[in-house]
Amino acid sequence: MNTCENIAYTCLRKPCELGQGGRIAYKWIHNDLSDSQYTYEMIDQASNRFAQVLKSLGIKKGERVSVYLPKSPELIECFFGILKNEAVSCILFSTFGESALYDRLSDSQTRFVVTRLSLLKRIRKALEEGPTNLQAILVTDLEEHQDDFVLSLPALLSTASGSFDFPAQVDAETPAFIQYTSGSTGKPKGALHVHSASTSMVASFKEVFHLEESDRYWCTADPAWITGLVYGVIAPLVTLTDQVQFGGNFNAESWLGILQQEQVNVWYTAPTALRMLMQEEEALFRQYDYSLLKRMYSVGEPLNPEVYHWGKKVFGVDIYDNWFQSETGSIMITNQPGLAVKPGSMGKPLSYIEACILDEQMQPAPVRQQGFLCLKKGWPSMFRTYINKEDLYREKFNGDFYISGDLAYRDEDGYFWYVSRSDDVINTAGHLVGPFEVESALLEIEEVVDVAVIGVPDPILHEKIIAFLCLKKGCEWSRALELKCRVNISNKVSTTATPQEYHLVDRIPKNKSGKILRRVLKAWYEGKDPGDLSTMEEA
Amino acid sequence: MNLYDQLNEVFREVFADDSIQLTPETTADDIEGWDSLSHVNLMIAVELKFGIEFTQKEIRSFDNVGQMAACVQAKLTK
Repeated sequence: MNTCENIAYTCLRKPCELGQGGRIAYKWIHNDLSDSQYTYEMIDQASNRFAQVLKSLGIKKGERVSVYLPKSPELIECFFGILKNEAVSCILFSTFGESALYDRLSDSQTRFVVTRLSLLKRIRKALEEGPTNLQAILVTDLEEHQDDFVLSLPALLSTASGSFDFPAQVDAETPAFIQYTSGSTGKPKGALHVHSASTSMVASFKEVFHLEESDRYWCTADPAWITGLVYGVIAPLVTLTDQVQFGGNFNAESWLGILQQEQVNVWYTAPTALRMLMQEEEALFRQYDYSLLKRMYSVGEPLNPEVYHWGKKVFGVDIYDNWFQSETGSIMITNQPGLAVKPGSMGKPLSYIEACILDEQMQPAPVRQQGFLCLKKGWPSMFRTYINKEDLYREKFNGDFYISGDLAYRDEDGYFWYVSRSDDVINTAGHLVGPFEVESALLEIEEVVDVAVIGVPDPILHEKIIAFLCLKKGCEWSRALELKCRVNISNKVSTTATPQEYHLVDRIPKNKSGKILRRVLKAWYEGKDPGDLSTMEEA
Repeated sequence: MNLYDQLNEVFREVFADDSIQLTPETTADDIEGWDSLSHVNLMIAVELKFGIEFTQKEIRSFDNVGQMAACVQAKLTK
């Protein structure tokens, strides 16, 4: 049997065994900017207690446990408690609405979900949408069990031991966590990752970030996103990195204050956050001291050259953009110190990654010719399947190559340049949104008879979501109806999936088999020629 | 129905949460799902409820519900 270390062992137990238990694993900065420090031993013991709770509830290896909590120390402790049982973690964005939740809880066959009282109502509503395998909801701030289904996690933890034995070694292919991602059609897909993935998570962290022992690091991403889990939790813990975590949302003053107060040296964030910062008055930036900041990194969407130049001017350092996906599990292509930055480029592949651009015939494309960004398969953190969708998983490969779904080109110096998605998935503020989920939520509105959504370029969000609607005869568009649409999407899917604009049309352009012709809508929106319309369904 | 009761109704509808109880000190940190994107929904809902319009500056300036209520009240009494 090919074995590897359990990720929970590598991240927590091993450092404790090596005498690092008292070391600060992270300094947690709360919403109100107060802070708490967490040692490796504290996180190990807290996750032991949660592991005990799961064990006492009868969790078995391979079963799924979802964590539906905002970014918090509890979320991280639950993640490791799940892994210590060799169960499979599924962290869900706390912004997900009831339909998005139901899709993921049912698809993952989640047996237990951890949440807090303020989110409990959404789970209850999600459960009204259909059957799930859910056995109990564990609530982090509930004093007593409500019944056999809604349990108080503090009550369960109060009798749980702070020690938990688990094998340090597991089969290398033992599933560890599921990361949901959106597709251009149908429901979200759960990319499954295994324990041996940590090898390339850690290797990439070292190769990309070049951290020195004295460096303080801050990754702003939520652990519900692959970046937050891998580069905000797993890799920094394994490498004993001195890091800060912030539990609050984006706020320019808070973020700049943290950079100064915490003397951050290496900062990993998202282009949308940087573009939002760019909207602030210049005077704000002069109020803070970033002299200890050595470099910045960004991921999630392409980093525009103007943002790179702005960052260099305001913070006095380079911004190294990089590229990866939920499916790849770790950074594949990056800019980094020692490699001249070409602003707007995603950089070059990591030393152990083979990336290429393939054309429509899956043959290598010439330099500067746009094609499919592909990766030679075999890196340890590559996803192992889309759960329940093995056919879609197989479609992502052509021979030895993983087809990322992104269009890009490579220049004569070997730098890769992102062009767009090759499918209909919308990348808004670093979140991939599938049109299907948004359209489904809009079709629930009584006045709406047909709908299509597309992504169009946006100076802040990279892409913004635009909805085209056909209304029932006799219905008129109004701000009240717009609000109805917005609120339904926010509460059913997520706030990030809410369209910014709504346009009324007589009909949605579709081909003869009923597929929405999004390119036609994009052309309409941008005032361009929609091209060949011969396949379009007649009115 | 006083102003806070009416605002409470709007918040409950926008955030689909019947347990919301507003006070002047309530902030985005106290209400699940109140982020910069849902804030747009909230502003539209408040405008529709009271038949008023906020400026962009006002929309960005509210630190808590008390400030929002004061702004609504000022517009209603104009």
